[in-house]
Amino acid sequence: MSAPANSKLVIAIPSKGRLQENTSRFFARAGLDVVQGRGARDYRGFLKQMPEVEIAFLSASDIVAQLASGNVHLGVTGEDLVRETVADADDRFELLTPLGFGNANVVVAVPKAWIDVRNMSDLEDVAAAFRARRNGQRMRVATKYINLTRRFFAANGVGDYRIVESLGATEGAPAAGQAELIVDITTTGATLEANALKVLDDGVMLRSEANLVASLTAPWSEKARADARALLTRISAEEDARTSREVRAYVPNKPRRTIREAEERFGARAIYGMDGDIIRVVCPAGKAADLAGWLIERGAQHVSVSALDYIFSAGNPLYDKLAKRLDAQG
Amino acid sequence: MLRIGASALIEAGGMEASVSGAVESGTANGGSGNAQRNAALIAHLVAAGYLRHECAILQPAATFLELAGEELRDRLFLTSDPSGAEFCLRPEFTIPVCRAYLASPQAGKPADFSYLGPVFRYRAQGVSEFVQAGIESFGRADRAGADADIMTIALEAAELAGATNLVVKAGDAGLFSALLNALALDPVWVRRIKRGVARHQTLDQIFTPPANGASAEHSGLLAAIQGADKQGARKLVEDLLSIAGISSVSGRSAGEIAERYLEQSTLQANGGFSVEKRSVIEAYLAIEGHPDDASASARALADDAKLDMSAALDDFDARLGFAAARGFDLSRMNFQARFARNLDYYTGFVFEAADPANPGAAPVVAGGRYDGMLNALGATGAIPAVGAAIWCDRLDTRPAVQGEPRP
Repeated sequence: MSAPANSKLVIAIPSKGRLQENTSRFFARAGLDVVQGRGARDYRGFLKQMPEVEIAFLSASDIVAQLASGNVHLGVTGEDLVRETVADADDRFELLTPLGFGNANVVVAVPKAWIDVRNMSDLEDVAAAFRARRNGQRMRVATKYINLTRRFFAANGVGDYRIVESLGATEGAPAAGQAELIVDITTTGATLEANALKVLDDGVMLRSEANLVASLTAPWSEKARADARALLTRISAEEDARTSREVRAYVPNKPRRTIREAEERFGARAIYGMDGDIIRVVCPAGKAADLAGWLIERGAQHVSVSALDYIFSAGNPLYDKLAKRLDAQG
Repeated sequence: MLRIGASALIEAGGMEASVSGAVESGTANGGSGNAQRNAALIAHLVAAGYLRHECAILQPAATFLELAGEELRDRLFLTSDPSGAEFCLRPEFTIPVCRAYLASPQAGKPADFSYLGPVFRYRAQGVSEFVQAGIESFGRADRAGADADIMTIALEAAELAGATNLVVKAGDAGLFSALLNALALDPVWVRRIKRGVARHQTLDQIFTPPANGASAEHSGLLAAIQGADKQGARKLVEDLLSIAGISSVSGRSAGEIAERYLEQSTLQANGGFSVEKRSVIEAYLAIEGHPDDASASARALADDAKLDMSAALDDFDARLGFAAARGFDLSRMNFQARFARNLDYYTGFVFEAADPANPGAAPVVAGGRYDGMLNALGATGAIPAVGAAIWCDRLDTRPAVQGEPRP
């Protein structure tokens, strides 16, 4: 892909609602403020701390389309939309990291009254029987996830069905007589419950959440790559810091051996080296208290545990992932 | 799914206006030799009494998806009109020919059609626009004769166009149905076995009942009902559903749900499938070879198991007799009891003819009997139907053999 050496890095983020708020919060955590140009109606913006990086505010489905066509380099969007819209998603995108929000499952749900149907194997049989009874007429599945449904049903051997495209209020389709069952996205299941639908035992097609997605077909200029590296370094540094704690203690006896054991038992990392009498390591946030107790058992009088703002590292797993894919395609 | 833009549509529309021109110029197949060959091919089919049918390239998409299933969707070239109605470039001729026949005054009466023209199906390799020819025969009550005619005429036409020495693989969905009927199986098992065979499952996969959830959760209830008066049990479940205020839930009636709910007990019951019956099915599905030998094996099997399949076997033999009378050498046919074509609308005789020098290659000629399709397309009575298609782009795929000039 030949690109002007200085073409900008463009990031697409959701233009409204909770997804936008969560995305802004995600960047803010990495010390980056999303600035919308001239008020809330402008669809272009930038990052305050990296003004060379352009932000495009788009609807969720447009983000996938723009990533697919290579008009933007990075985007924040749900995995469900990525996999639904683009058949060879893994060839064209790299899902860099899940973002911990926008969680939802794409599920197969049938009327609760179908007491004879609990799983996909039941559904396969019911679909065949339905068609045999009705002169070749197929069971209808209402969904907006046409491709995900086709792939999932084919993998489960369900062939006797028809898709009825539904772009809103899919859960009402069975009651309205427009379809026999649905494939839809659900977060709590409350909407399905209210419509007397149940999810099949093995009917979760995809556990989706918002992801930071990279387009492999975008024009990755030197500059875009450098800015992506800087951006992903900040994101990694914050993520690493947020999920870690620094633990310090004075253990009089064999500090090196103690560190090695802490590495094994608590996933501690001696990121500052092992010299000196003071033990100073970083460990997963959830294990900090256990590590502190263990250090006291080993003779420490006091253990301090502190939160960190950033851990910048020479190696950057997010950028390395992207660089590997970009280099692979030459 | 493939969406085509407006420009592609205009092109397609232009082609429709001069369908025969497009075919004869042979853009999809290349070369004017192909145009001549295709002309000879359709002339042969027409001369055999199959009236040439021409149909629009742009077709309503719903019928194809309804009849061939969603799996066809990603091979269709789809588009929509301003109102949002879905259309596709015709992926094949059989369904349009059926629809035209049903809309005509001849509907229900015997009528034979032929066709030749480009069809559009996405192929990952190769060109997605290719020429197909074929014949369809509707309304003939002499099914065995019609089956033999369709196969032999299609093969003759292919041979005339250069595909000599094709070897035929044949199956018979009607004979298999007759066997399953004669075994007096529960409907749940008939469904399972037919689908399993069509999907090339192993017998163990077919005869191991799936761990269906209904029975796991309600195993106590099902055990209690099992073996009890079936009508009464069904009434009970139906009543329970109606207490819950459910009479018809999106297409499936309470009766239908109750019936299948109880069927699950049949599947789960230990020894639900008798060892003897399984071995009969196993022996039948293993039958393979010269069709006369296959017929003899099937008769012997039916006699041993004391099953009455004589009507279906007589039809089978009659079909072979008619084919031989038309000059078809039966040793070119390999009957395989478990052979089923991918499309599940076939109800009787099915066949695929391919080049034996090129094993594993896609068929050059293929077809079969599909008695249920016209009904599914809205015909009131049952109308017999059988047809075959010829892939014109595969007629000359064989590597030229030295010392044997290509025709």
